[in-house]
Amino acid sequence: MTAQAAAEQAAQVGPARSVVLQAERLTRRFGGLLAVNSVSFDVEEGEIFGLIGPNGAGKTTLFNMITGLQRLSSGSVRYRGSEISKLRPDQIARRGIARTFQNIRLFGNLSALENVMIAQHVHLRSGVLGGVLGLPLSRREEQHAPERACELLDLVGLLGRAYQEARTLPYGDQRRLEIARALALEPTLLLLDEPAAGMNPNEKHDLSTFIRGLHDRFKLTVLLIEHHVPLVLGLCDRIAVLNFGQLIALGAPEQVRQDPAVIDAYLGAE
Amino acid sequence: MAVFFATYGSLIVAMLLAAMLALSLYLPLLAGQLSLASPGFYALGGYVAAIISTRVVPFDSGAQAYIWRMGTHEVARFSGPLYPVSLLIVEMLVAGVLSAVLAIVLGLPALRLRGIYLLLATIAFVQILQVVTQVLDLTGGAIGIFNIPQPFASQLGYAWVVVPLLLLSAGFVYRLERIRIGRAFTAIREDELAAAAMGINLAYHKVLAFTMGAVLAGIVGVISAHSINTWNSRQGTFDAGITYLAFVLIGGSRTFLGPIIGGIVLYALPEVLRGLAAIPGLPLALAQLLKDGRLIMYGLLLVLGTIFFPQGLIRPNLFRHRTVEATPRKIEQQ
Repeated sequence: MTAQAAAEQAAQVGPARSVVLQAERLTRRFGGLLAVNSVSFDVEEGEIFGLIGPNGAGKTTLFNMITGLQRLSSGSVRYRGSEISKLRPDQIARRGIARTFQNIRLFGNLSALENVMIAQHVHLRSGVLGGVLGLPLSRREEQHAPERACELLDLVGLLGRAYQEARTLPYGDQRRLEIARALALEPTLLLLDEPAAGMNPNEKHDLSTFIRGLHDRFKLTVLLIEHHVPLVLGLCDRIAVLNFGQLIALGAPEQVRQDPAVIDAYLGAE
Repeated sequence: MAVFFATYGSLIVAMLLAAMLALSLYLPLLAGQLSLASPGFYALGGYVAAIISTRVVPFDSGAQAYIWRMGTHEVARFSGPLYPVSLLIVEMLVAGVLSAVLAIVLGLPALRLRGIYLLLATIAFVQILQVVTQVLDLTGGAIGIFNIPQPFASQLGYAWVVVPLLLLSAGFVYRLERIRIGRAFTAIREDELAAAAMGINLAYHKVLAFTMGAVLAGIVGVISAHSINTWNSRQGTFDAGITYLAFVLIGGSRTFLGPIIGGIVLYALPEVLRGLAAIPGLPLALAQLLKDGRLIMYGLLLVLGTIFFPQGLIRPNLFRHRTVEATPRKIEQQ
């Protein structure tokens, strides 16, 4: 299935599997602590790229650096060839990188629908005057926006809860709402920070299928942090393993699984 | 009826102005920015009106100003020449533009601060403006500017400007809350980091919300200066900012109706209490409390209100947006 998707993309993009995201010697210091230490990797167009590692390995910091929420101490991040590490988070989002958060960060007091509609921001163009006066462009946009948002809610199975306040949703629904919100940005690169956290094995399996489905349907490149090893091994095309801020392995799931350094640091615990 | 309006004309106008001042504080709050800068822009607008109408425009206000000082406050009538309303509108435009420019210059650095620090910065702005206007000759120094001409023959005449302006600003904020920009504001209020990650430019939207509030406060200042007839550095001070904040917090900080109702009701409250004190047969102590202790009761209501109605009296769930409401049903039916 991946090969087929890749072939489709190759037909569209031209050269097979171009690099979308290029992290080069990414480093982040917090005082004396090296949270991320000179990590380099490439993410290729259309792949599902897993990022694993024990707690405190620097995975979320890495995500924050890619999405501009945390500054780099040194190194560079290139997205489709251009440097993005100096950009603000909203500029990075505008270029097509969307994310979810490990500790869910929904707009809690707003409805599920509003949460998704907010993320359509960059795709709507009406300004203050046009919007307030209800000029044609704005009126069209404001009519279509909830429809599109509802389609996304439908996709994650939350249409029935469109008007429920986000903070009152069950935990699993909140995670799915975060994914719907990220999709509303119409990203090309989707960063998922522990999407399966707190789910039971059944739900994890469903989520895995769901992510695979999104990847195929929206032609997404997915970068994924996950603790649950079977899920990562089954879902990802390639995996990077972090430990104490350093990249200790990178490659196909089978390869990584047999890497002695990885077994020692992480998988050995299984 | 005529007597009622003649007596309460200035109160009614002041209530409506209070509603707009509450709105001016509500606007930045919509984007999560707790700012007490509104009184500063209000003062600025007042000085714009005072300076233009007494020093820039060759308008002889001698005759009507004389009558103004003779008459008691509520029932004053003017027989002298009235200040042109068109000039009043020009003053409002000038004040709006100046407030916007100052808000952008001030907002760009100040809105990098968060929470209590932004609050302190805006309080500092109000204080600095007050001190500056006390020393400048242009603003009449510590004494201020007198004899600001009257554009209307009675206090109630101001309603011709104030009512449309309130409707306009209420309509503006009502619409704002239902469009893309308003959603971006709310997102920033809810979670800045997540809003930024969803592609919302924080600095732009914060400054925009702050500027909208500043423009409104500046325009209200223009009307107030004419209505009060004199303007000095005691107008638009820090404690006025606290009062506006109370209007918003008690009225409701989640929908535009909150500050409007809050401003109107709370501004009138002390006057109503004073009226109650005049009811014959009340025990003396209670009448005394209602009359002289009205500020105590006012303060007490603020405390009770924030405890029992933390979101304010008017909450958005009372009303819902119908087109958005209808959409999921439509899709479910397909």
